[in-house]
Amino acid sequence: MTMYLRHQIDVSVSRRGVIRRRDFLRGIAAASVAAGTLSWRDMVALHARELQQRGMSMILLWMAGGPSQFETFSPKPGHENGGETTAIDTSVAGIQISDNFPHVAKMMHEAALIRSMTSKEGSHPRASYLMHTGYLPTANVKYPAFGSIIAQQHPRAELDLPAFVRIGSGRDGSGGGLLGVEYDPFVMPVAGQLPTNAAPTTSTPRYTRRLDLLSRLESENAAAGAAFEVDEHQKLYKKASRMIMSSQMKAFDLEQEPAAMREAYGDSQFGLGCLLSRRLVESGVPCIEVTLGGWDTHNDNWPRVKALAGQVDQPLAALIADLKQRGMLESTLVVWMGEFGRTPRINPRAGRDHYPRAFNVLLAGGGIQGGQVIGSTDESGTEVADRPVEPTDLLQTFCKSLKIDPKFENIAPNGRPIKLVDGGTPVDELFA
Amino acid sequence: MNVTSVFSHLLAAFLVAMALLHTAAIAGEMGAAAVAQRADALLAEEQFGGDAQTQAASAASDEIFFRRLSLDLIGAPPSPEAVTAFSLDPSPDKRAKSVERLLADERFGQNWARYWRDVIMFRRSEDRGLIAARAAEQYLTDAFNNNKPWDQIARDFITATGDVQQAGTTAIVMAQNGNSEDVTAEVSRIFMGIQIQCAQCHDHPTDRWKREQFHELAAFFPRIAVRPVRQDGRQRSFEVVSVDRGPKNKKNNNVRRGSLEHFMPDLDKPEEIGKQMEPVFFVGNQKLDSGKTDQERRGAVADWITARENEWFSKAFVNRMWSEMVGRGFYEPVDDIGPDRDCAAPKSLEYLADRFAANKYDVKWLMQTIALTDAYARRSASRVDDGSAPFAAACPQRLRGDQLYNALVGVLEIDDPSEDGQRGYRNLFSGPRGQVNATFGYDPSVRRDEVAGSIPQALFLMNSPQLARAINAGQQSTALGKLVAETLDDEAVVGELYLRCFAREPKAAEMRTCLAHVRTSTDRAEAFEDILWALLNSTEFLNRK
Repeated sequence: MTMYLRHQIDVSVSRRGVIRRRDFLRGIAAASVAAGTLSWRDMVALHARELQQRGMSMILLWMAGGPSQFETFSPKPGHENGGETTAIDTSVAGIQISDNFPHVAKMMHEAALIRSMTSKEGSHPRASYLMHTGYLPTANVKYPAFGSIIAQQHPRAELDLPAFVRIGSGRDGSGGGLLGVEYDPFVMPVAGQLPTNAAPTTSTPRYTRRLDLLSRLESENAAAGAAFEVDEHQKLYKKASRMIMSSQMKAFDLEQEPAAMREAYGDSQFGLGCLLSRRLVESGVPCIEVTLGGWDTHNDNWPRVKALAGQVDQPLAALIADLKQRGMLESTLVVWMGEFGRTPRINPRAGRDHYPRAFNVLLAGGGIQGGQVIGSTDESGTEVADRPVEPTDLLQTFCKSLKIDPKFENIAPNGRPIKLVDGGTPVDELFA
Repeated sequence: MNVTSVFSHLLAAFLVAMALLHTAAIAGEMGAAAVAQRADALLAEEQFGGDAQTQAASAASDEIFFRRLSLDLIGAPPSPEAVTAFSLDPSPDKRAKSVERLLADERFGQNWARYWRDVIMFRRSEDRGLIAARAAEQYLTDAFNNNKPWDQIARDFITATGDVQQAGTTAIVMAQNGNSEDVTAEVSRIFMGIQIQCAQCHDHPTDRWKREQFHELAAFFPRIAVRPVRQDGRQRSFEVVSVDRGPKNKKNNNVRRGSLEHFMPDLDKPEEIGKQMEPVFFVGNQKLDSGKTDQERRGAVADWITARENEWFSKAFVNRMWSEMVGRGFYEPVDDIGPDRDCAAPKSLEYLADRFAANKYDVKWLMQTIALTDAYARRSASRVDDGSAPFAAACPQRLRGDQLYNALVGVLEIDDPSEDGQRGYRNLFSGPRGQVNATFGYDPSVRRDEVAGSIPQALFLMNSPQLARAINAGQQSTALGKLVAETLDDEAVVGELYLRCFAREPKAAEMRTCLAHVRTSTDRAEAFEDILWALLNSTEFLNRK
């Protein structure tokens, strides 16, 4: 029964148009008659879920390598572990962050910090996978990245663009996983250009003619024992052509932004990625991930983090301000995080090593109450002193913000039901 | 020459003669053709009420058969010359002859090496496991071309040690980063098709294997470690080593890691070390004393896994190869078989697996046998769950990344840059072949009708500048440019393109459609670019029927 319902939901939202929705209602009615279990209210509830989620999006700013908590949002200026980093005041009385983030400091009233993130995974790939999926990697089940989960749970009938876009050259093991290639991230190596292979190599009339020739020749093959394959193939080609011919492709063109706006986000590649993600959210893309690598500062921590923070500070603040100004912040969850933090003790190469035991995350929008700090570490920054938050708790929090049911189960190829998030509880205090 | 050496030569000659006699005896009993025939008869009994003639699809045409066979055995479609020669060959045994010829082709080993590389690497738990991919491909290419028996290949992988960029057999261990439980699961899945790791945390509800049995199997693998190999102070590679003296590195606060024995965690007290497990092989219940070395443990379990008494070893391989070639497995998915799973035609599989084992796990023999069955030669039909019997028709299958790349290189006559000397994590997905693999590759252990196409695939074939250059007919340097310039007869050009792309001639309707397109285009060269574009973007090109 659950399977049947899920199928109906998928059908109802899979394609544009009213006809499908009517099919959906008819399907539900038939099912309820057959099973005698579904009331009108159930149907409305099913429908409401879709309505409720409409418009929720997430922008993940992924700091690959593991950013130092001390040099970002959990400075310890009074302690030897804090190093040379100083703390600055923010727009919220009582909250101080590192002096590497003066722009973010001015937006602190819109953002919340978790200073008590904790996990056990200290290797880059495993920790990245854990933070992206909520699970550790295994050989048997490929867990989907949270972005793919959003794409699955927030289907948008009117969207011609891919539902999960990853910007930047970050290479991460997670993707659609058991949800299938349909939910893999669509990778944009560089913001400010068209996606790879998205522009036809011929004029539009000739391109249309080619597609027409293709579909006529395909019908021969369909008749010769490949009807299913041809049908699937044609659907895929329609989807791909619809995407590249869509007016929504304008979202990728950053030249359409006024110069002042581009300036506000800064001219770094990461800044362009942030600007692009706002444009994509506006076009209806429910999940965008922008990667900035280089945070693995085993040596020369201070100059390196300063340079990295310099690329993040202005665009992150601009993104929050821009979303706010457009009235999109409430429906867009912005998350800044990496796979783990860095050792409190400074190593002989003036660096910090991997440290999953205590690190931090910044969140804004998506119903998060800004201007607050969750949890804390002890004076030396070695241990979480208060309110530990584990990766699954964080993913539960994302679910709560995005109105996704974490108990929803997908079925792995080996038949095992897999919850979107297994265990953990949302950090309720974050929501006002 | 002294007496001893004369004697040893005589002895050698005698042994060779005995071996030849033995082979001849086997050939009499177990020739591929005879076994194929018997398998077809069993299949007809099990699936078609004894009447495959009326209940199953008829044989595919020569052209379709030949493209299928070529893609299956050597991973590339046939050249236009080969198709023409095959079609015109009047001899009644030309299919059997072409099977033998393709099995002897060097590309046979490479094709199946890439297949198994994907089987292993698509389940890697970390990307750094990819570092072993090329060496694995190299080892397997040689093994398949030299027809190394499957049990010996399995043993090499199960017992492997060494630098992962030299010893390709370390790939399974490296892909799982040396984690003994994951290696256990993969060895069972790959060589026996049994997903015993489902019992890792609890007794499986639909399986007979108990949680203890998984952990007893894992007790064969606790002494494996993956370590960095340094040279001049820089990390150059990884190596798989046996650690028989403790303690191994302790990592991540995990009490069980770093021990020389395997411990089964207590589910109620996961923070405690749990119960120490003795190595026991779950299929035949063979036991090993505790305290044995890594090589003793892995050697013993390799013996027991590959023993003739273990039916799952031969069944897993036969089922997989059958599924690859016929398009559908007896068990599905191919890596989830066992006594509590449904088998589409148990007697047929039993028979083939038994012959495969009796034939000393001869891989080429098995491929030849399957290729000679009627089941393999049938027309294909889309796989739809309409209740029709499995194997009534062959199933179309999407080309794997490497097969597609080979097809593109062949059709477009573009140079395939040498891949020699490339190492490291990323190189598997770099270069033109790597890009195609990254975009079109899929896990070969999943059911073929569950492998879906993706938007980046469509965009690559439709719009990639590389392909646009390669089909530019205005350039004499491209295959199409030459063809269009040298052949003034439009019909002949269309015929040649179909032969290249689909290994067959166009049907009358297709010819009409193409010629009409040429007539209504302003530029002849552009018209043929459009046609080639359409053929490369078609379902038929991307699949083997």
